[in-house]
Formats: sequence, C-alpha cells, structure tokens
Amino acid sequence: MDRGSIKKWLKAPGKMGQKYSFWVVYFCTGCGIIEIPPTITSRWDAERFGVIPVATPRQANLFLITGYVSVKTLRAIIRTYEQMPDPKYTVGFGSCPINGGMYWDSYNTIKHLDKYIPVDGWIAGCMPRPESIFIAVTHLWTMIDKGMATGYIKYREKYKNYRKNQEEALGKLEWPPLYPVGDKNE
Amino acid sequence: MNKLKKELKSSFKGIRTGILEDNRLAVSAPKDAVLPILSFLKNKGYEHLSLISCVDWIEEKELELVYVITSYLQKNDEYADNERLHILLKTRISRENPEFKTLVPIFKNAEPYERELHELFGINFEGNKRLTPLLLERAYKIPPFRKDFNTREYVKEKFDKISFVEEKKNERA
Repeated sequence: MDRGSIKKWLKAPGKMGQKYSFWVVYFCTGCGIIEIPPTITSRWDAERFGVIPVATPRQANLFLITGYVSVKTLRAIIRTYEQMPDPKYTVGFGSCPINGGMYWDSYNTIKHLDKYIPVDGWIAGCMPRPESIFIAVTHLWTMIDKGMATGYIKYREKYKNYRKNQEEALGKLEWPPLYPVGDKNE
Repeated sequence: MNKLKKELKSSFKGIRTGILEDNRLAVSAPKDAVLPILSFLKNKGYEHLSLISCVDWIEEKELELVYVITSYLQKNDEYADNERLHILLKTRISRENPEFKTLVPIFKNAEPYERELHELFGINFEGNKRLTPLLLERAYKIPPFRKDFNTREYVKEKFDKISFVEEKKNERA
C-alpha cells in the first residue's frame, strides 16, 4: 500500500475495501467469455487489480455481462443480479449489451441491457481486449471514489420500473419481487 | 460412390442423385421414400446422422428438409468397401401444412434437431413425443426462421417499445 492512499483509507475504509476486491461472478454470456480465461490467468493476471472470479453470486460484487444477451439469458442475469449482496457493480462488456451490436435486428436478443438491470459502465468493442477490462476496473475505482457507481441504489429506488420492463420482455416472472412494488414506493 | 448411387437408384423409385463435390452425394427423394432410404443407408453402415436442416422455399411454397448422413465405420472389416461420404438427403414438404414423420425410431439423436425445427420452422414431426420448447422463450405468431418473419418489425414492436428507466440526458450533465 502506498503512503498516498493512507488518507483515503482512513477517510472511507469501506469504499477502499470494496474497490480493491472485485469478486466477479463466473457467468458466461455470449462470446465475450472467451476473453476472461486469459484475463484471470497468468498472461494478464487480473489479481493484480484485485479481480477474482468466484463461483456463486452470493460471494460476488462485480457482474461482467460478457456478450449478447438472449431473452432466455436475461432471466438468468436478473436472478443472478438479485442474488448478489449490496454493494454490487455491473459492467456491460462488448457492444451487444449496449445496443444490440450486430444482433440489432435479431428476434431473440435483448437490445438495451440497461432497460432491465442498472449498468455502471460499458466497455465498447467487439471483442474488447483484456486490457480494456483493466481500464474499466480502474475507471470503476474512480467512480466508487466519487460515489458515482450507484447502480444498485438506483435499482432499489426504481425497482418498480425495472420490474415492469422485465415483465414486458419475459412475460410473467416466476420469482417474487426483490423490493416492494406497491404504489407507496415510487 | 457410383456403386452406392446405382444401388440407391435400383432399390428406390423416383429419386434423383447428383455428386456435389468430392465426397458429397446429394439425393432428392419423394416424401414417402425418405424413411426407407435412411434405414437402408443405416444398414449399409452410414449410421451417423450429423444434422437435420431445413430450407424455406417461399416462392414455391415448400419447405425442404435436408438430412446429412455420414459414416465413421470405414475401417471396420464389415464396411471396408464403404467410402467416406457425406450423404445429403433432401425432401420437400408443403409449407401450409408442414407435417412429416419422425426419425427417432431409426436415429435416436434426431430428437433435438426435430425439436429445433419444430420451434424455428413450425414443422410438426408426427410421432416425436417431445416437441417441447428448446431454445426460445416466447411464442411467435410466425416461426422465426421462416422467410416471411419480419425481424425488424418484430424488434420495433417488442424491444423498442420498452422504455428506458430514466432519461439518459440527466446522467451526462
């Protein structure tokens, strides 16, 4: 630990702890997952940045959406996202979750992921290089420092709208709402 | 290849054969002859069904089923004179009433292919007990792989109508 950051540690130890230990859900969506094995192994060694893949969403706080999201996958993504403990951050990886990418007129691919779950940052490209994951991670550090990575708070506040969008895309959802969706909580 | 071609022509009526490339034999057969030809080929040693595919000929109002069959048993003594072949067996069925018989009794691995075609082209395979949803989540009015399914219109109706949770302008400011 360098001495410059001691002040930060004393000021907001929670934030510092979160930002230097991103635990990523091992969740494969689309083709982007092919960039993850070199990223986490010795070639690019993501552990330098405190990024480790973990097996279950209950242990994780970073969710990388790696590639296009089909309608069936969206269901799994929402369930995974809701299982992760707060604070949690989402990063859309590649151009497909941003606006559909090359699947912009596909019959079974979700076009804008941020209509269904909050996304804190995007990595553009098809495919992005492993280096860009680290750029995204360092950006996320800055965002956490400045209090800008508030996707999970937005999800809680606007849960009614998110749930409405999810139901519109998937039909009836078979799990109960995570937060109350009554008229009082607007 | 020519030997098999002759055998096929002599045993079944109404089929046309052609050689596409070095190792590809195309056979087009009428509807009724398909299952007998497939079991005949299986007995010959061509017992790997690698694919069932479908082509939508919208102007002729027909769907074309393509069965791709190949063999790994070349080295076996019993099938020593078999060549390494890809056999493409094609048949046409009507587009308005797409029904065909299932292949599961002959090739067991036909089941997922038939489920897929049932979903994407709306073909009903008579005798397949498991024509349940495989890849898709929702019901479509027209099966999505048919040529008259307009994907852009569908996207406009389905996904573009869903609104963003909050306006994007405020975020950047």
